[in-house]
Amino acid sequence: MKFFITVPLVSLFFIFPTLLFSQLKTGTSVFETELKNKSDKFSDETYFHRARFFFLNKEWDSTLVYSDKHLSTSSENTELKDYSHFFRGYSFKQKKLFNESYKEFASISESFRFRDFVTLNLGEIALEQKEFKKAIQLFEVIESLDTYKLFGIRNSAIAHNLGICYLHLEEFDASESYLIKSAKKQESEGDTLLIIGAYGDIANLYYVQYKDDLAIPYFKKAYELSKKVKDFEPKRRTALNMAVVEENRKDFKAALVYRKEFEKWKDSLNDQNKIWEVAALEKQFAVRQKQKEVSLLQAENKIKIAERNGLFYSAVVLLLLLVTGIFFYKEKTKANKIITAQKEDLDELNATKDKLFSVVSHDLRSSVSALKKSNTVLLDHLEAKNLERLDHDLQTNNAIVNGAYRLLDNLLHWALLQTKQSYFEIAPLRLYPLVEQMVYNYKPLMIEKNIRFENKVSKKDRVLADQESLKLVLRNVLDNAIKFSNTNGLIQVFTANTYEGYVDLVIEDTGSGMSEETRLALLKDTAVLPKRKHKDAKGTGLGLQLCKSVIRKNNGKFNIESKPGHGTKIIVSLPKTEKND
Amino acid sequence: MTNVNVLVVEDVPSESSSLVKMLLENNYEVVGVARNFKDAMTLFYNSKVDVVIIDIFLNGVPDGISFAEAINITPNASKPFVFLTSSTDRKIFERAKLTQPFSYLIKPFNELEILYAIEMAIERFYEQNEVFLGEEENTVISTEYLFIKKGKSLKKVLLNEIIYIEVEEKYCNIVTEREKFVILISLTKMLKMLDDRIFCRTHRNFIVNTHKILEIVPADNLILLSGNHKVTLSHKYKEILKKVRTLK
Repeated sequence: MKFFITVPLVSLFFIFPTLLFSQLKTGTSVFETELKNKSDKFSDETYFHRARFFFLNKEWDSTLVYSDKHLSTSSENTELKDYSHFFRGYSFKQKKLFNESYKEFASISESFRFRDFVTLNLGEIALEQKEFKKAIQLFEVIESLDTYKLFGIRNSAIAHNLGICYLHLEEFDASESYLIKSAKKQESEGDTLLIIGAYGDIANLYYVQYKDDLAIPYFKKAYELSKKVKDFEPKRRTALNMAVVEENRKDFKAALVYRKEFEKWKDSLNDQNKIWEVAALEKQFAVRQKQKEVSLLQAENKIKIAERNGLFYSAVVLLLLLVTGIFFYKEKTKANKIITAQKEDLDELNATKDKLFSVVSHDLRSSVSALKKSNTVLLDHLEAKNLERLDHDLQTNNAIVNGAYRLLDNLLHWALLQTKQSYFEIAPLRLYPLVEQMVYNYKPLMIEKNIRFENKVSKKDRVLADQESLKLVLRNVLDNAIKFSNTNGLIQVFTANTYEGYVDLVIEDTGSGMSEETRLALLKDTAVLPKRKHKDAKGTGLGLQLCKSVIRKNNGKFNIESKPGHGTKIIVSLPKTEKND
Repeated sequence: MTNVNVLVVEDVPSESSSLVKMLLENNYEVVGVARNFKDAMTLFYNSKVDVVIIDIFLNGVPDGISFAEAINITPNASKPFVFLTSSTDRKIFERAKLTQPFSYLIKPFNELEILYAIEMAIERFYEQNEVFLGEEENTVISTEYLFIKKGKSLKKVLLNEIIYIEVEEKYCNIVTEREKFVILISLTKMLKMLDDRIFCRTHRNFIVNTHKILEIVPADNLILLSGNHKVTLSHKYKEILKKVRTLK
């Protein structure tokens, strides 16, 4: 029935490594300080530095990552390599990957600063993997070293491990000596947990050898000590051990009590596990909550960004609107200005037109009334059969009608010029025949006034102009010349060359001439008609204005030279034809 | 030398009568006055017309232009013409202008203007611009006639009636069966314009109508022409003999 005991034994084996590591924890500060001091010179190596940082913070996964990175990037320095392998080995060991851990530790060079520590770890790995002989070899190497040399690792633990090894190898004497040695040391060191472990192991040692009398007190001692610690695990284990022992002694009542206690601690352990689970759940929940918050914040951020973008775009749109608004406003003001200017021009033109209307209608009215009177006289003479007078009367009528016709003709051309409806074509023209043709109409008038006329224009002179408009100009100018000439006067028409590219057609009379004031008024580039000075003055001024407009349209120039009492020179400059033969 | 024949196309009698009067006074022959498009066409094709004066508006429609267009598209029938109009409407003018060569006169016009317009029409039609107005020349040569400016008016001479032409510096003596007169024209232009199958140069100063040659006396370097005229045949132009022979 004794074979039952092997079960707790096996369970005991697996307890030890955990105990050992907790033991290491107490001594780590020494080791860590030492490690820090020794490896500070390598702080330039980023990955190494990181690996060390995580190692010291016991984040094994990160340590593995960075040490691996370090190894794969720079592998020149043996010492650095050793450190990295050490970090990796230790990390793997902590993660219970013993094969990996072993490989890493094995690749550390002999000269490594923490060689003994490495050996210890190798020993522990061997123990974990149940290679007890190998473990014994390794542990014996460092067995004799004192605590300082092992950087805070107590050699009592090593002795303990050796004891366990021998126990598994069933070399009970050696085991007994080591275990007792370690138990004594641990008793002196006063670490209750370790003492419980040591007592348990000693008890097992005796129990396996059926030395129940020796074993039971140790079990009891362990059980009693376990009551003083908070940890459930030793309580549960020692209670179970006691239960097994009592069962084997057939004291089922006691065994039942121990069993129950064992169950209790087991439950406690489970409870603790449950609590852990709950905590984990809570943690998960909290993490989820946080995640939610984060996503909420992210969403908020998104909304904010969207809002900001929206604001930005609307600002841009508003700006654009503003700019276009300003642009159109400016355009409108400009247009308004133009319209105002045009309105002023139109008003002026309208005033001119009104004035023109009144003057022209007045003139026509006087012409028609003169004709009426003349006709009455003519009828009288006809009745009286005064035939000699008839001829004279008809001549008078003719003159009146001619004057009125000229006025109407000018009026018509003025209207046509304004509406731009009439045909207008600039072509080469010979001046001589044009002058001849125009003078032909005035021959009777000139004969009547006994005016001599000389056309001195060369037959070769040619200009670029529209034929009909040039005729109109000539008619008006000749009409004026005759009108203002005295009896026995002289009218000459000739050409001169004052400007390059132009032919000046000069119509000179020996008439009354005009004052400088009148001259300037006539030349003024305005549509307003010069005022009539006195009743006797002839014409509306429409003819001359018309001439100026027409000449401008023909790309020509117009000028007047005059001396009161000596006569007037009207100078019409027109563009020459290119070839003037 | 005969008068130039004019066809007047004008619907208003008072206008046409004053125009006809002006033309007659200046020694033009008026072959007829047409009142509408149809009459105009009939008169044009049934009489010997040298120049046509066309009023654009006939009874209110621009049939004058249609008439000009009609005679213009008939090959070899077209004659010089002058448009008359009292309006200067641009649209009408744009259409009238398409009947090149284009000369026009705005009503009312005086005698000088109509005479000048007729001369211009003839010059432009026969593409010999600036002849009647310049001082160097006074003759336009068509395929049938010489149009000669005489005073204010124009005269024409049938080319077939010319017996020979004698050149004297820038003048040319034209000798026909009935008369003899002087025109102003350059010899080069004369030779260029005349049909060289009929008119041949026989001497530096003589151009002869080969149809009028009666006899050639090479020994005396003389050519006898109808109307008892004689011209010199210089050595340089003896090729005319071959021509005459081949003609015979």
